[in-house]
Amino acid sequence: MTERVVITGIGPVTPIGIGVETFWESLREGRSGVRRVPSLVDAGLKVQIAADIPEFEPNDFMDAKAARRMARFSQLAVAASQLAVADAGLELEDWDPERVATVVNTGGGGVTTIADQSAVLNDRGPGRVSALFVPMMAGNMASCQVSIQLGLRGPTITSLAACASSVYAFIDGRQLLLGGEAELALAGGTESNVSPLGIAGLANMHALSRRNDEPTRASRPFDRDRDGFVFGEGAVVCILETLEAARARGARIYAEVLGGGRTADAFHITAPDPQGEGAARAMRAALRNSQLEPEAIDYICAHGTGTALNDAIETRAIHDVFGEHAKRLAVSSPKSMTGHLMGAAGALSAAAAALALYHGVLPPTINHEHSDPECDLDYVPQRSRPAELRAALVNGFGFGGQNGVVALARLSE
Amino acid sequence: MSTVQDRVQQLIADQLRQPLEKVTSDAHLIDDLDADSLDIVDLTIAIEEEFSTEENQLEIPEEDASEIRTVQQMLDYLAAQGVA
Repeated sequence: MTERVVITGIGPVTPIGIGVETFWESLREGRSGVRRVPSLVDAGLKVQIAADIPEFEPNDFMDAKAARRMARFSQLAVAASQLAVADAGLELEDWDPERVATVVNTGGGGVTTIADQSAVLNDRGPGRVSALFVPMMAGNMASCQVSIQLGLRGPTITSLAACASSVYAFIDGRQLLLGGEAELALAGGTESNVSPLGIAGLANMHALSRRNDEPTRASRPFDRDRDGFVFGEGAVVCILETLEAARARGARIYAEVLGGGRTADAFHITAPDPQGEGAARAMRAALRNSQLEPEAIDYICAHGTGTALNDAIETRAIHDVFGEHAKRLAVSSPKSMTGHLMGAAGALSAAAAALALYHGVLPPTINHEHSDPECDLDYVPQRSRPAELRAALVNGFGFGGQNGVVALARLSE
Repeated sequence: MSTVQDRVQQLIADQLRQPLEKVTSDAHLIDDLDADSLDIVDLTIAIEEEFSTEENQLEIPEEDASEIRTVQQMLDYLAAQGVA
């Protein structure tokens, strides 16, 4: 009976790099992927900044015809999956495809495709709506296109939990291996709705930073002057396999996935519970399910969006769970560099935490210039630094009050 | 000015992501150019948009579209509709 699950491959397609080497280098160096996006400027939106991936070329990862039949969130998922497989040194032919699971989650799926085809319907009539509309926009295509392109025939799942979606993917992927439903799992998330409709709704919600003139300084989690998050696109997929299988094939192991916790606030459609009760309970559940004492955690890869409420409440929840130890552990938010990838954010954070554990380096929270009395932890401000890291939590808290936390550890015997 | 045939061949190549030289008059959309039913619907829409004018909206009914299976049949159909 298998008891241990590890991460052996990381496939990032992100605003700070495509592929694990560039991604990690950018995290370590504290590079921002935020820019003023021409299509948002042209549309005259209040928010004209986002973290997108203009250099992404789908034809590098799939043939042109397959790419035409996918919305961008699926293209990104396929690319991330291929990068993860390659990074893990996997030969998929060596695996029974029926025993490989695909769990690629998303937040908004094909919202942009819906917007585009709604315009076609209104401007040119129902006869001109693309026959590909439904199979392009449906959120489950995140996993299904990966399954089709890579020939994976085991459990294929896409679930939605807003900004916690792809934390859930690691919890579910691990369970599929432990429960014997699969021997290998691709787990991750994808999001690509940097478009006027996607941005306008969030902007009118006052969730987004309006620092249009300083794109790279706009995402400032835990900083006193934070004014909202920066919307991002991307996909991150990781390879999960059992420790036995990874050892048997001599794979490089980034980190162990110890366990996770999921809770609901049952409070509000967008605001977190003011006491951070649901978030704290998710962290406690992750610790309990991982058989970890709070003192075993050296690093929290925070949800850390850069909104006034989230960062203060997440800090409060960390105090609540960790007590005195809260001041000793390090907390940082990769969203300071990548923006908020929504449905892909949890997978991006899990990848960042796994790389932090593997390399013994804490990625920074860039743009953290001024402390805030409500945010009084060690956020690894501005610069990465080396650290002895044993275990980390990855936080993801979604609109609707869905909270997901997964615990990762540097591999020990 | 490119001919109707040039425009149709280019459009089919673009829509089906096939090299232009494969889009010969006798090429079969499904057997030679790898289209499926979804591709053919979108190709039909693209043809309608390409050859519609302010005065003359081209509409290809589904029952007609289902009969068109080769590049030449598409050209013949357009000619019969007065597209020149």
